[in-house]
Amino acid sequence: MTYWSGDEDELGKLVPLYVLVGGRTTPRNTTLDLATQIIAYPADTAALEPQYRQIVLSCGDWVSIAEVAAHLGRPLTVVKILVDVLLEQGLLAIGAPAQQTVVNRGLLETLLDGLQRL
Amino acid sequence: MKRTSVKIVVAGGFGTGKTTLVRSISEIDPLTTEEVLTEASVGVDDLAGLEDKHSTTVALDFGRITINHEVVLYLFGTPGQDRFWFMWDELAQGAVGAIVLIDTRRLDSSFAAIDYFERRKIPFLVAVNMFHGERVYTEEEIRGALHLSAEAPLLWTDARNRESVRETLVRLVRHALSRLPDTEPVG
Repeated sequence: MTYWSGDEDELGKLVPLYVLVGGRTTPRNTTLDLATQIIAYPADTAALEPQYRQIVLSCGDWVSIAEVAAHLGRPLTVVKILVDVLLEQGLLAIGAPAQQTVVNRGLLETLLDGLQRL
Repeated sequence: MKRTSVKIVVAGGFGTGKTTLVRSISEIDPLTTEEVLTEASVGVDDLAGLEDKHSTTVALDFGRITINHEVVLYLFGTPGQDRFWFMWDELAQGAVGAIVLIDTRRLDSSFAAIDYFERRKIPFLVAVNMFHGERVYTEEEIRGALHLSAEAPLLWTDARNRESVRETLVRLVRHALSRLPDTEPVG
């Protein structure tokens, strides 16, 4: 357990992770992956709790869960669960989950073509 | 097509140049994301010497290459320490393939990564990082030392050089293509 050092900036990090995510320990949408792309639907975020609002505000354009976690300085698991809740509330849209991306010829050829043009 | 992420894993022992490689080609400064482990996630034996730690943080470095407006490639560097193997599964699941970056002075740090990708039938290649521009060993010698199957490509790369890294990624994707079953029509 960590105790408050007196530094205001640290305050947000002292909220136990299970409180932040409302007791949920794993995302219900099990296809969420650290590379899964998310985007926010236009919505009024004023009523959201800060940890949810931060996420909605950080994905105005397509972005991966890993990037959101890196920018917010929160652990991946926590961000996945917050994203999961926001998906259920219809505030976020999701791209093709990376774990389920079928690595097929078309996708690989697109990738090859893109890398060759870099 | 839905907005799609593809993953390439950059593996290799500590100090082999994984983050340098990602930095050379990523369109963003490599980002670091963290995963918090609780005791339950970690093998008990691996906690020797860490008895008073109840949680541990694993850092993952990654970069991004936008392929087109629908496809985005992420390059994830693996955490170096053995006790973070469980993180590899999330990185590797659905990945296009993996680059195992090696330093010929520390080949033994690469065995575990090669074994991991072989067992899971994930396409991978071995990239020998040329730290000082020299090739001390022949391909045959390195393959022998790594017990590398003939199927896995081995090449030399300079992790600091964008063009060299790009070529390494191209080789990996070609290798992944060559491993697809032939049942799909070509083209």
